[in-house]
Amino acid sequence: MPLDYRRFNGPDDSVSYKRFTDNYLKSYDELYEELIDKNSRRKDGRKLDEARSMCMFFARTDLISQAKGSAYIELKKTKVVCSVFDPREIPHQNEFSQLGQLYCEVKFAPFSCVRQRRPHAPDAEERALSVALRQALEPAVCRHLFPNYQVDVFVYILEHDGACLAAAINAAGLALANASVPMYDIITACSLAIIGEKVFVDPTEAEEHLAIMSPDTEGTNHGIITMSMMSELKQVSDFMQIGSMDVQCVTKVMEILEKECETIVPNIQKVLVLNVVQCFNQRKQLEAEAKEREAALNAKMEEWKKILNAG
Amino acid sequence: MAGLLLSPTEKVFILHGVQDDYRSDGRSNIDYRPMELETDVVSHASGSARLRLANTDILVGVKTEIDVPKPDKPDCGKLEFFVDCSANATPEFEGRGGEQLANSISNMMQKAYHSSQAFNLKQLCIFEGKQCWKLYIDILILECGGNLCDAVSLAVKAALFNTRIPFVKAALMDGGNIDLQLSDDPYDSKLLDVGSAPLLVTLCKIGDKCVVDPSAEEENCSVISLIVGLTGDRKYYYPKDADKQQSVESKCTTIGMNGPGSVAPKTLKDAINQGIVAAKSLDEALGQALLKERQQNIGIKKHSYGFLK
Amino acid sequence: MPGPDLLSSQGLRLDGRRPNELRRIRCKLGVFTQPDGSAYLEQGNTKVLAAVYGPHQASKSKSTTEGVVVNCQYSMATFSTGERKNRPRGDRKSQEMSLHLRQALTAAIKTELYPRSQIDIYVEVLQADGGAYCAGVNAASLALIDAGIPLRAYACACSASMAWRNGEPEPLLDVGHVEEAAGGVVLTVASLPNTGSIALLEMSHRLHMDYFKVVLSRAMQGCRDIEIILDKAVRDHLAEGWTKQDVVTI
Repeated sequence: MPLDYRRFNGPDDSVSYKRFTDNYLKSYDELYEELIDKNSRRKDGRKLDEARSMCMFFARTDLISQAKGSAYIELKKTKVVCSVFDPREIPHQNEFSQLGQLYCEVKFAPFSCVRQRRPHAPDAEERALSVALRQALEPAVCRHLFPNYQVDVFVYILEHDGACLAAAINAAGLALANASVPMYDIITACSLAIIGEKVFVDPTEAEEHLAIMSPDTEGTNHGIITMSMMSELKQVSDFMQIGSMDVQCVTKVMEILEKECETIVPNIQKVLVLNVVQCFNQRKQLEAEAKEREAALNAKMEEWKKILNAG
Repeated sequence: MAGLLLSPTEKVFILHGVQDDYRSDGRSNIDYRPMELETDVVSHASGSARLRLANTDILVGVKTEIDVPKPDKPDCGKLEFFVDCSANATPEFEGRGGEQLANSISNMMQKAYHSSQAFNLKQLCIFEGKQCWKLYIDILILECGGNLCDAVSLAVKAALFNTRIPFVKAALMDGGNIDLQLSDDPYDSKLLDVGSAPLLVTLCKIGDKCVVDPSAEEENCSVISLIVGLTGDRKYYYPKDADKQQSVESKCTTIGMNGPGSVAPKTLKDAINQGIVAAKSLDEALGQALLKERQQNIGIKKHSYGFLK
Repeated sequence: MPGPDLLSSQGLRLDGRRPNELRRIRCKLGVFTQPDGSAYLEQGNTKVLAAVYGPHQASKSKSTTEGVVVNCQYSMATFSTGERKNRPRGDRKSQEMSLHLRQALTAAIKTELYPRSQIDIYVEVLQADGGAYCAGVNAASLALIDAGIPLRAYACACSASMAWRNGEPEPLLDVGHVEEAAGGVVLTVASLPNTGSIALLEMSHRLHMDYFKVVLSRAMQGCRDIEIILDKAVRDHLAEGWTKQDVVTI
């Protein structure tokens, strides 16, 4: 792997000092205890089945002026920026492709993760996320409208506190709509973590970390599921599961995910409608200003004409 | 797949076949194509297997190396998957052309083997916190005839079943460093417990129905396929201690979707259930085949066919 | 000069062969269905697969009016060697081998028959135990025949080394991995034995001029031996093919 030579990386066999802190040495059970308190509330005060989409959700568009469309989504501590660029001809391609293509790239900011610093070169996780993002977005975009062209979607994860793929898909869907790329439906995504009997909707990083770790007891369900949906069409565009769980669990959880995906839709819709309203207001204002200017100009012209005629 | 051109009429023919549960090669929607499996084909590897599923040809070699365990998992070994799409399969894979496909398959395998319920990494531990085995699972795709994921997962499981890890004879402690002495005798080695290793099942949606084991032509007709990874059952691989263990329900270790289309939630559920049935029968057949081969190898020296058959 | 220990006092080599003996060659044509031609070849413990695609239209940048473009790729499976390889292809050795393959095979193919076309030849080494390049050329030659591409002659490759026995020079035919690693000279020849011409000659380490001729003639003898084996394999394959086809049509 290429190293970043401008940075002092330390000796090869060095380990992070965090390895020796109390936090790190906690056992699986201790970590599990920490996630939920006595009133069955999570660390950030949410209930188990409460997603961040309701109260801690913030989204806006037009963050990046260079891009055709852009979006920013915040789920409390998970912060994601997405930019979408104009269609351009597919580079290095010999054959004509009937359908337009989506090029997706997910990138973690070097400082985004709690546990390790992210390298500049794209690593395996980023590549996997990019593939998953494309898989999720492709069915939603009317690709036949721009044959032989590709639309670039770039996602930058500023801070990672769980459910980053879901946040990336939501942001990308919003940004695509903002860039006025024709789409069949609004695309939303949600993820959840499963540890034993408990289902954590919209998990934080700590919860995800524990869900991926294999418990000592045999046969316990654990894992993460991310699903993206086009709610109006009732179509699942991507479904990712990792971990180990029985099939009843998967099917049961799917309903929760479906509902959760639907609840995000109004949030996105609100942003988009606001966008349109804002756009109209802006245009009205611009028109008014233009009219004013024209009036002033006309007045000036009249004045000059008078002077000319008089002269 | 590469270089395959189907006319709309041919696609309609395949689609109608799937609708009537009678596919163009005479199978029903839940049938697999004939498979050939041989283990121990590469002598430089600790374990190897070659699987031929109709036109799809996969060769897997497992190599072992000694490594230092990760600090957060001191008692676990490591697994690494590497997929190489050989240009023998199609000229498009020349140079770096096959990398994207290779990455997606190795990602899928990595995810499927992630959980300890699928593959227990503790059996690769040599000395807690200091040394462990690292298994390099190298997958070589020699010919693509559709359904790569299933074939790869079957071949990997067979190769792991065949893998021998030498016993450690002695360990010398030398001021914190450990010097291992390994047994030289190739038969003085342990086998891995791979009974629960997952198998991937691809369900290809053609029309309204899902089919297992799609051929290259069928893959061309479909816009979306679902890949389900399900753990195996130990009783098929270790029948001797079958009575000691209760039958375990197979679990999903990974689910993924592939292709530009989308599916309705209900179809997704049905497909997963269909995948379980397919995975179970695959697992049983693989276990039987592997045990039979192992039985034959005891006593007489095995006749190796390799590619000469 | 290293070498005396390559031959025992009885005149046998490390793996029990006589100095002028090839390793056992087993081969099969038409192992795959998708390529236009394919072959599998085992030379001792070295196992090689070759596939041929084409002739097809050449890509614009490569196309020439003079003859067919021969495009070769040599890659080694990551598990083929004793120590695991990190990359199957793209390293310097594989690239060099690709060039050498191309050199040997271009000499054999009647290139003038297909202007503006391209033939792709892919060689995959599954197990390397010395002489992987030689096995690659031999397998590619079979694959070309399986694809029905007109050749001038069989392209055969063989290696030879040099040892001493009772003070007399004794060249060794078809060098294995152990003999290669022992550090002696290795002369690799790719030739068209039928026409007596040499397509590629490569030598590692140094060898006194006086002995060069002996080693070369031993390697050429090896090429001629290999040609007989390949020829028999092709004839057998075709005979088998015909009978099978007859059965099907009747």
